[in-house]
This record gives sequence, C-alpha cells and structure tokens, in this order.
Amino acid sequence: MIVLVAAGLAALVAGGVAAATADRLAVGLWAQAAGVLAFGIAGGWSLCTGDTWGAAFTNELSPHAGIDGLTGVFLVTLALVSCPALAFATAYVPATVTGRVTSALGALFLLSLIGVLCARDALSFLFFWELMTLVPAAVILTGNSSEAARHTVFTYVAITHLGGAGTWIALLLLAHEGAIGDPTALSEGSGVQAVIAVAAIVGFGTKAGLMPMHAWLPRAHPIAPAHVSAVMSGVMVAVAAYGLTRVLVDWLGPAPAWVGAVVLALGGLSAVGGITYALFQRDLKRLLAYSTVEHLGIVALGLGACLLLRHDGAGTWASFALGAALLHTVNHAAFKGLLFLGAGALERATGSLELDRLGGLLRRLPWTGGAFLVGALAIAGLPLLNGFASEWLTLQALLHVPASAGVWDGTLGAVALAALAITMAIAVLCFVKVIGLVLLGPPRRAACAEAVEPVAAMRWSLVVLAAACALLGALPGLLFSQLVTLAPWGGGDVPVRPGLDLPGTGNLPTMGILVVVTVLTGLIWVARGNRRAAVSPTWACGQPHAPQLLWTSAGFSKPLRLVLEVVLRPEREVETTTSGGVMQEVSYTGRVPHLIDSHLYRPVVSGALLGASWARRLQSGRLGTYVVYLIGLVVVLLLAVRIGAIG
Amino acid sequence: MSSASAAAAVAEVAGGLVLAPLLVGLTQQAKAVLQGRRGPGPLQPYRELRRLWGKSGVDVEGTTFVYRLAPVLVAAAMGAAILLVPAAADAPGLGVGHDALALAGLLALARVSVCVAAWDTSNGFALEGASRDLTLSVFVEAALVLSLAVAALVAGTTDLPGMVAGTAGGSPWTSPALALGAVAFALVVVAETGRQPVDNPDTHLELTMIHEGPVLEYAGRDLALLQWALAARHWIVLVLAAGIFLPHPVGTWWQLCLLPFTLALLSLALALTETLIAKMRILLVPRLIGVGAAVAVLGIVTWLVEAL
Repeated sequence: MIVLVAAGLAALVAGGVAAATADRLAVGLWAQAAGVLAFGIAGGWSLCTGDTWGAAFTNELSPHAGIDGLTGVFLVTLALVSCPALAFATAYVPATVTGRVTSALGALFLLSLIGVLCARDALSFLFFWELMTLVPAAVILTGNSSEAARHTVFTYVAITHLGGAGTWIALLLLAHEGAIGDPTALSEGSGVQAVIAVAAIVGFGTKAGLMPMHAWLPRAHPIAPAHVSAVMSGVMVAVAAYGLTRVLVDWLGPAPAWVGAVVLALGGLSAVGGITYALFQRDLKRLLAYSTVEHLGIVALGLGACLLLRHDGAGTWASFALGAALLHTVNHAAFKGLLFLGAGALERATGSLELDRLGGLLRRLPWTGGAFLVGALAIAGLPLLNGFASEWLTLQALLHVPASAGVWDGTLGAVALAALAITMAIAVLCFVKVIGLVLLGPPRRAACAEAVEPVAAMRWSLVVLAAACALLGALPGLLFSQLVTLAPWGGGDVPVRPGLDLPGTGNLPTMGILVVVTVLTGLIWVARGNRRAAVSPTWACGQPHAPQLLWTSAGFSKPLRLVLEVVLRPEREVETTTSGGVMQEVSYTGRVPHLIDSHLYRPVVSGALLGASWARRLQSGRLGTYVVYLIGLVVVLLLAVRIGAIG
Repeated sequence: MSSASAAAAVAEVAGGLVLAPLLVGLTQQAKAVLQGRRGPGPLQPYRELRRLWGKSGVDVEGTTFVYRLAPVLVAAAMGAAILLVPAAADAPGLGVGHDALALAGLLALARVSVCVAAWDTSNGFALEGASRDLTLSVFVEAALVLSLAVAALVAGTTDLPGMVAGTAGGSPWTSPALALGAVAFALVVVAETGRQPVDNPDTHLELTMIHEGPVLEYAGRDLALLQWALAARHWIVLVLAAGIFLPHPVGTWWQLCLLPFTLALLSLALALTETLIAKMRILLVPRLIGVGAAVAVLGIVTWLVEAL
C-alpha cells in the first residue's frame, strides 16, 4: 500500500513538472493519470478489504494522512473521472505556454483533491480545501482572462469563501471538542453540535452547489477547459459531499431530527430547481452545470434520508440510504465526466455549444456521439444504465422514511419522494431535448455538417467512461454491498450480488432486466424482418420540410414553461414592425430569469455596495478627520473607564 | 413452484402478450355502444395488428438507427414490464424482479424511446406530441410513484406480489389511505392509457394529439409494435389497479378468477369516462394530475396518522 501511494505521489509530482517543461506535455499528463490511478487502486483496496492505512483521525493540528473506506470510495471516483480526463487532455490541451501551465496546475488540483480526502487532521484538511478552491480559479484565468471570465472567477471565489467560512468553523470546532474521528464526543442536541451541523451544511453545501448557495457553480464550471470542467463537476463537488458525509453522518454522532430535515429540504430544492433551470439553458455546458446542482441535490436527499432514518432507529435502511448517496456520487461522476468531456470534443468539432445550432452529430461522429448518447440516457435515469440504479435506491430510501418516522418527518419524506420523482421526469425531458438537438435531426450549421471524429485519445476516453456507465448500471450491487458497510453504526449487511436485493423492496435485478430487455429487443428485431418501403420525406402537411420548421430548445420546453409560469415568471418580448399595414418583421426574445439570483443575491450585493459607499464617507483621506477620530476614541475609552464599563 | 403460482405466471405472460389488445377493443366497443354507434366489435385491434403486420415499414429521410430501434425497444421494455407486473399474489419472479418503482423506470424507458425517435425524424407534429407527453409525464410520474408509495406503506413493501397480498381482503374497503391512493392512481390510469380527458385516442388531428403524435411517421410492423405496446400499457396499469387498489380476494386462485371480470369492468369504466368527459385543455391537465399527486401525499399523511 505504501509503495502504491508513494509511487502515485511521485508520478503526480513528476507529471506536473514534466507537463510544465517544453515538449513533455503528453508524457506529463500520462504520468499524472498513472499517479491518480495508483491512488484509485489504493482507495479501492481499502474499500474492498476494509483495511485502513496511515494515521487515524486526530484532533491535533499537526499534519496526518491516511486512507480508510470512505476516503477509498472518493479516491476511486477521482481515478474513474481523472484518468479518462487526463487521457482526453493529451489530445485536447494545446502544446503552448498556456496549455503547459494549465496542465501543471491540473496536477496541483488533483493533489489538493487527494489531500482533502486523505487529510486526517483539521489543519491539513483546511489547507488542501483552500487549495482545491483556488487552483481551479487559476486554471480558468490562465486559459481565459476576459472581463467576463474575471468577473465569473471573482463570483466563484467570493461565494465559495463566504460559504467556506462554514467549513472552517465546523472543522475547528470539531477539533476543539475532540470530535474528529470520535462520534461520541458531542452530546445529542447540544448547542455546539447544532452550530457544527449548520456550519457544515453551509460550508460544504456551498461547495457542493446546493441551492440556494449554488450561484457560483453554473457560472464557473462551464468556462473551464473541458477536462477541468469534468473533474470540477464530477469530483470537486463529490469531495464536498465527502465532507458533508464525514461531518454529519460520522463525527456528529446521533443528531437531532432537524439536521436530517434541513439536508432533505435543501436536497429537494436543489434537485427540482437545478434540473428546472437546466431545462431552460441555451448553452450545453451551462445546462450540464445546472444538472450538477440537481445531482448533488439527489445525493443530499440520500444523506438526509440517512440522517432521519438513523434518528428514528432504522439503522439498516439508514445504511442503505448512505450507500445510495455514495453510489449516486460515483455514478454522477461517471456520467457527468463523460458528458463534459463529450461537450469538449463536440465543441472542438463544431466550434460552438449553442444548443439550437448543433444537430445531426450522431451520424457524423458515431463514437463520440454514441458515447454522449449513453451518457445522456444514464443521466436521465433510465433503466439499464447506472443513473437509474442509484436513483431507485434513493427513492426506496425516501419511501422508507415515512415507514419508520413520525408524522412530520414522514410527511417530509413523502414530499421529498415526490420531488425526486418530478426531478427524474424533468431530467428525462431535459436530456431527450439535448439528445435531439445535439445528436439527431439535420445539422443546423455548416460546421456540424462537416464535423469529423476527434483523435483516438479523446474518442477512447469517452468510450471508457460510457462503458463505466453501462458496467455500473449492470452490476451496481457489487459496489453497493461495499458502500453500506461504511455506515459507522454498522447497520446493513447486503449479500454480494450483481443486482440490488434489499429487504422490503421487490428487488432490482439489474442483470436480469438487462438480459430480458436485450433478448426481447433482439427477438423482436428479427421478427420484424427487413421489409421496408421506399424512403419518404418527413411529413409536414405536404409542405417541403424547410430548416425554418425545425424545433428549437425553447419550443420543446415551452409546455412545461407555460405550466410552471406562476413559479418561474418567464420574460418574453415580441416586437413587430409594420409598414403600410403589412407586417414586415417579427422579433422575439424570451428568457427564464434565475429567481434566486434576482431575489436573494441581488439585494444582498446591492445592500453590501450601499453599506460600502456609506463606510467610504468615513474615509475622507484628510489628516484632520483622522485626528478627530483618534481624539473621539480616546474620550470614549476614558469615559468607559470612568463609568466602570472596562478596566 | 406450486400450481397456483404457475397459473399466475401463465396468466400474466399470456394475458399481457395476447389479451392486452382485447382490453383496448372492449373499451372502443363499449364507447361506440354508449354513443349509439354499432362499433367494429371488441376484436378490431387484432384485425388492425394483422393488417399492419402485413405491410412494410417506412424509413424517413435523414434518420439514424435510433428511428429503426425505437419501436423494437418500446415493445421490449413493455415486454419486460409485463413480466414484472404480477397477475396474483403468488406470481413467481420471472427474472426482472417485482419492484413497483422499477416498473416506473421501464415505462419511462418506453416513453423516451418514442420521444427520441421523434427528434430523429424532426417532424414538427411528432415533437409537439413528444414535448407534451414528457411535460405531462412530470406530473404523471409523481402521481404514479406517490400512489404506489401509499399502497407500499399499507402493505409494508414495494414488492408488487407483496402489495397485492398486503391489500387483499378488507383493506381497500377499510383503509382511507388506500382510497386516496386509488383516486391518484385512477388519474394515472387515464393518463398512461392516453384516454379522455387527458388525450383523445381517436383523434388524428395534428394539433390536438399527444400519444399519437410521436408515432406519426411509423408504418407497417413498426406501427404494429407501437400499437401493441399501447395495449400492453393498458394491461399493466389496469392489472395494477385491479390487484392493488380495487377489492380483491385473498388467495391466488380466487384472484385469478376475479381478474378478467375486474379488467372488463375497468375497460367499461374507461369507456364511460371517455363518453361523459370532454377532452381538457392541454395546459389544464397538469393541474388535474398534480391534484392527484397531492391527494396521494394526503394518503401517506393519513396512513401516518392512522399508524399513531
């Protein structure tokens, strides 16, 4: 184990250095991939055998590092996304100074992620945590230093640091109370436990992009280079989920019911809100970033269910809920990494990711398009692929909340169940739209009609991730049975099977369903035979099917926009130009404003600016004013001493 | 395997594969009689399927393998769903498990296949139907999951045979939670079978259709598969309604004996609602089904209060 970890560390550092030197970019990236793979193997080993390696958790403030099962899950996730992303980068990153700097910073980013996961004391955790926040900002600015990008990075750093204060408070308080690695240190319902819980939910929730602390995420993730976006969206938010799991599920000990209820409510809001706003995005990468908010919401639903079930004494189902949340984190990393890398490949091939100006790419790019299709079906939560397995588990966990909780928690569980069902259905609508606009139909731009398949390194990294989605969809039980053992209260014991056999459910034999559907498809395909009439044009009431008749993103989501009009308040403007009584031109603009931005963040920002402009009046810059301030202070202090308030 | 559970397996597979179109035929015939027409007889769907099976399929210009695969995948997903829905409490597992929520996934898979194929043809009417279908499915899915959750809580499991057994005997008569779940499920039945007031199965006017829209370009055996899949959808939701939300006896043999009568009665009920209620404006349907979902939540709250 120690050899593996040392080799991984050496490979990562060497890879970072090599990438920075001229002519060694590809070698450096491959070395980084090897390093991350070594950590992934070490993590997988720890997860499967249950061994821990290195230091145990400590409340001291000196550096300690180690690997245990929970760390292992996330190291495996990191390797699952980063290795294909780095392979992708060997062909994607240009061999310029910018590309080399990006790649070297990429190694630092990966190191900081590993550092957070392996840290065993509060101080090194917080050091790597800050590094993990700052390095992507540097990567983004290296590649793109336009006014808009700088503004976005400022928003990202500002929000994650304001929210990140919660992480500091939670970790330092835990260390102070001696609760790091010791679930018995905090007494249930104590004030300090409540403060830690709130601080952790704010701190880690901001980084995980939970609504309403998500405002930075859909801005920052899309502007990074594709392989960095993949790691940010697949792994960095997962690391926030790791922090949330560590603190809330493990170190907090038995928590009062409101902690679980808050996590459940935030998860439900993020899931429904994230996918609803994803539906109305016009840019593919921005849409994917909003869907990250949705999926972290689903993870939070699992964690919230876990906390509530544990509070109600249903230890077995609490551990299943924890397993569901962790499995969904792994699954999300696989398909979101795939889709972000795919989006990068498609952008290279066509020049732009505006949804209404793509089309027909499955025919032009069968490998990239096919892998993208698999990813989109997986993220939509359809059976046979991995998204469905973990969403099914989360649904089951939420259903078991009413079965074991009181009236209030049970009702909350029922509402969360409805929220997840709605989320899954909107995700289907959203990704059917993406598949249709990007991959199918006629090409909507000349560049799409002439797009060519990217080079092998990019293509194969997509195919590998698509295979991972299919494999995790066929054999989720193998991983799940390991994940449930991570519950610190030792709740569940699931037999190692390919499918998901849980008590109180009708079982999800994923392999069985896969085999039945595949065999039936084959049989029916053969029975249908090959008799086809002449190819016909698309029916358009007898008119020729002109490009103007093609459906747009806004058109396909219009029914839902109209149904949700009361909540979403979409804006639309139609301007007509008439001359001589005949309409000459119609221009239409429509958009769905982001309500949390305009109703929550804008008042806070404008209030802060107003306060700053008031404060600025105090700073006149004249020497006399400051002397008056000083004399005033001395007088106030003397008065305070005189009346005995101080001294 | 006991003889009762073997009989249940035979009933479930044969019924789903062969008798499903009869349910559609019965509904159509009953509707015709109620409207004072003579009607083509309950066997008309079989004649339609035979006619379509003899014709060749049509490919649309510019489509990919997605268009060719979709009808086959829809039929395969519905086939798997038929294996999943038990005809009686003793039904044996047929390799796909028996989970209520997995069923929702398979129904979604079939729906997605058709809607993705609509994008492949980029036919405006097909996409109109697809976008409406997926919009309604947001609410239908919530109502489906919640109404099944009510029954699962009453029965203590999401295992469908367990739910059939757990709600057998007196509980549909005595449990108010189950009654509220049944109201929500009734709306799901209407929506999933594409009946009025949600959709009109008889219309082929492009601007009003929902489920007929995405299949507009298909012909021949492709269309036969899609029509059979729609019939299978009738079978699945009606068998669930009969086995979970309507009164049914304890014991597999009794349940199997009663099932044909309940199914016929439910087909008549569908015909009756189609005759009595006009089609709703499309944007009002989500409200109706949303109210159904809210009723199901109320059902869960009722169950929680009852359990106190």
